[in-house]
Amino acid sequence: MTPGPVLLPPLGGPGGARSAKEEQAEEEQVARKLRDQIARQFGRSLHIRTLDTGSCAVCEQEIRLLAAPHYDLHRLGFFFTPAPRHADLLLATGPMIRAMDVAARKAYEAMPGPKLVVATGACALGGVQPADAFVHGTVSEILPVDVWIPGCPPSPLALLHGLLVAVGRLAEKVGALSFIAEPGLMEEPSSLGPSTEEGAG
Amino acid sequence: MTLWFLRGLRRGVVTTHYPHRPESSAVLLPTPPSFRADALTPELADLLCWVCPSHALRRDGDAILFDVGACTACGRCQEVAPGAVRASGEFELAATNRAALIKRIPLLGGDS
Repeated sequence: MTPGPVLLPPLGGPGGARSAKEEQAEEEQVARKLRDQIARQFGRSLHIRTLDTGSCAVCEQEIRLLAAPHYDLHRLGFFFTPAPRHADLLLATGPMIRAMDVAARKAYEAMPGPKLVVATGACALGGVQPADAFVHGTVSEILPVDVWIPGCPPSPLALLHGLLVAVGRLAEKVGALSFIAEPGLMEEPSSLGPSTEEGAG
Repeated sequence: MTLWFLRGLRRGVVTTHYPHRPESSAVLLPTPPSFRADALTPELADLLCWVCPSHALRRDGDAILFDVGACTACGRCQEVAPGAVRASGEFELAATNRAALIKRIPLLGGDS
């Protein structure tokens, strides 16, 4: 038998609200601790396995460029590995076609923990393919996604930023952006390029 | 080759942090749009939602919900309304929370 409703916290009252807030704070604290631990373990050496779940291969082209001398992700301690058993991070692209269900789960389960999943590109984030009989529409339907990288395709710079966010070496910026333009700035080119204040360690 | 070798010997390190300096080629990247809220009429908002091929824009009462994660930076909204929409220039958009990628753009006269 399942436990009765007696064990549930009281609803609606101020006591219930406070305990919910405390629970949330506790969860946040645990999450922060876990994130710090992961950053410590992955901060200088991370092996990446890419997983194509039905993308058009442009994301793969951009991922391949990460290893080119201009971007050179090896200087940051990231390496590609062909085997999920050696991987710490699963870089998933594509809208997760249903034929990949078993393969994606197997790849994820074969990875040793702690492990990260990064959904890459607008397909993987649910922007391009709606869910239908052939695709799930988003990677998060099958895999527990830790970091989302938008872009169609995300440029190598965006991918580098996303990987550094995943290991906790850079702060994410998108939460502070409003995507509302100031009227006076409409005619001018926007300030571009990554800011130099946040140096990755 | 020799120059790089000597430079590496002099500085002691041959690699750089990310980002080492502002990326000059970033101006060429297609980036998600940013909206001028005081130019967004309800009619224009409906038009923008209609032209968006990736369902990144949705009407929600007196606002547009802009899903940055779904945006493919195709630029159709900028073509339709060049006075109200421009490229944001932001490309470092990685998020650890999917909800952080969904932005609320208030329409003309609306608040929030």
